[in-house]
Amino acid sequence: MSKQILRINMADLSYKYEKVPKKWSKWAGRGLTSTIVAEEVEPTCHPLGPNNKLVIAPGWVSGTPAAPSSGRTSFGGKSPLTGGIKESNSGGLSSQKIAKLGLAAIIIEGTPKDEKWYTLFLNKDGVKFESADDILGKGMYQVDEIFWKKYPNEPAIIGIGPVGEKKLSNAGISINDPENKPGRYAARGGLGAVMGARGVKALIVDDTDGPGVDIADMDLFKAGRKKLTDAIMSHDLTKPGGGLNLYGTNVLMNIVNEAGGLPTRNFSAGQFEGAAKISGEMIAEMVEKRGGGMTGHGCHPGCVIKCSNIYPDEEGNDFVSCVEYESAWAFGANCGIDDLDYVAKMIRECNDLGLDTIEAGNTVAVYMDGGALEFGDKEGALSLFDEIRKMSPLGRILGQGVEATAKAFGVHRVPTVKGQSMPAYEPRAIKGIGVTYATTPMGADHTAGYTIAPEIAGVSGKVDPLTDEGKADLSLTFQAATAFIDSTGYCLFIAFPILDIETGFAGMVESVAGVMGLKADDVDAIAMGKEVLKIEREFNTRAGFTSADDRLPEFMRYEKLPPHDVVWTMPDEDLDKVYSWID
Amino acid sequence: MPNINVTLYGDIASYGAGKHIAIMDLDLPDDAVIDTLLQEISLPSTERGYLFVNAVLFDAPGLYASKDELLQNGDHIGIFSIRHMWPYQYRDGIHMSEALQIAMEESGAMKNTYRDINQP
Repeated sequence: MSKQILRINMADLSYKYEKVPKKWSKWAGRGLTSTIVAEEVEPTCHPLGPNNKLVIAPGWVSGTPAAPSSGRTSFGGKSPLTGGIKESNSGGLSSQKIAKLGLAAIIIEGTPKDEKWYTLFLNKDGVKFESADDILGKGMYQVDEIFWKKYPNEPAIIGIGPVGEKKLSNAGISINDPENKPGRYAARGGLGAVMGARGVKALIVDDTDGPGVDIADMDLFKAGRKKLTDAIMSHDLTKPGGGLNLYGTNVLMNIVNEAGGLPTRNFSAGQFEGAAKISGEMIAEMVEKRGGGMTGHGCHPGCVIKCSNIYPDEEGNDFVSCVEYESAWAFGANCGIDDLDYVAKMIRECNDLGLDTIEAGNTVAVYMDGGALEFGDKEGALSLFDEIRKMSPLGRILGQGVEATAKAFGVHRVPTVKGQSMPAYEPRAIKGIGVTYATTPMGADHTAGYTIAPEIAGVSGKVDPLTDEGKADLSLTFQAATAFIDSTGYCLFIAFPILDIETGFAGMVESVAGVMGLKADDVDAIAMGKEVLKIEREFNTRAGFTSADDRLPEFMRYEKLPPHDVVWTMPDEDLDKVYSWID
Repeated sequence: MPNINVTLYGDIASYGAGKHIAIMDLDLPDDAVIDTLLQEISLPSTERGYLFVNAVLFDAPGLYASKDELLQNGDHIGIFSIRHMWPYQYRDGIHMSEALQIAMEESGAMKNTYRDINQP
């Protein structure tokens, strides 16, 4: 059975299945969500108005048998945070279940005429529109629990918390994890507000007896799957007992701190004296000491890397998943807080309310920088989530993210690009990531530029890590490679083994080609990734973006970052080279 | 006699009587180099991953560019296990020692690990 597009119209509460148009048939995941958004959403529309859409798509290999770590879902729309195109990618249960229902994508459009809220229940028989009155205002922990009680087949739950209901710009989209907790998020860019603007509180996906995913060339798929699995399972970082499995993404906290690149106290320093206390190593100690929680947790079925964790409370009960590096940094170093229990509490608040932890942590830090709270005041920081939950005027400002909060409190040190705040890597100390922050169509995003093998990137032996030279070309190649991986359904962390192990890269390409019915040689990852970037870039241009938007914030050019006392030095004309092939 | 502050991260913390993190102050001979430090704490060089001296990267997993670097009184050394990751895109442009720059130019700066991945 060919894949279909499910189009849900909230204006008249109808739905229809459409054949995938030929022009879209080569895309999946991010490639497909960005293509549909670019074709169907007017770039100048208001992100919360009736003309924006929420597009959801699994990757090429999602839902196929035993493709390793392949449970990523792509969410797309026009971002209320950036005003540009947004693709946000998440683990959890949704990708494989949507794919197994034979769907290439779900498009949610329109706004209910009755201004009521709905839950959409999707299974092999179609879509049921149910009133969401009974779950309005509830946090995602409760929402997930309610729906697994109501629907015994343990469906995927794609939902928004109270922040999404109020259509605030830092609202993310929650996806339940294998334990039915709201630990996985398509967090960045405010797509939860776009879902809220459609009047949808939750989309429940039950794949029972679905048709499954067609694989055009099973032999090629299996050969690729084996190569990629072997590479993941043998690489130091991704194998069982490897860095990611032992300490999760928070394995980076101490390293980046030792390098002087850990943004601290709202990007005013590059080292935090309390970094070790909020690191992945400390999480491992807490899990062992408290006898609860776990490291090596998988965020979706079939993940072989298992970099997630469940953090235990003081009594050893499972408290929150997941304390990622970026989340621990956002509420930790960036707010001057060195107490992992408080960091975990704030992450849980985000999971429940439906907030992006990176934007929320940066927002608290900017609020502190404005003098409203001392850096390091963990009780004060935690209490801010009560304001958001109450939807007090202060809570509504904080729920809008960093730029709104900076304006409200007179802060000039605003670590954003295109309205989206930076993650846990200081671009003054780590120059390469600064180029990607500045130029990606997504706004400051650490996942927008993953490394690809030098020979694929065409830069083997030419990279000088200490100079600005060549970083524009490199960033473009990284961004293209990432756009391709985001389209596969594979987790971005396969980037490590496919960079270092040649057969791993071949395995990724062959498994994708096997599903699509192409020859492996016909799948050009970088060229396809560049096509996706072009689509996204052109959307932003039509929305009014110019090269002036591809800049890091001004303060980074004149405020020296200790301990290296460095400023951002990349010339604007070099940044403009990244997309000169389009512009 | 230089006094050196050392932090060991990951399973190599056991060489400093820790589980996941060990912090210690050591007095080393006047002409001590990084290799002297590794011998003092009995840390095999094959178990040493990223190594920093005062926020400057001096070595990477599988490379041995730092072993002859002289240590100074008051230096802080951070050493990570071989399992610690640091993706290239998150270290592109950081401060590195001259010896490591040369080693990376020869070995390929963009790798995530410099160990022979076929070795256990």
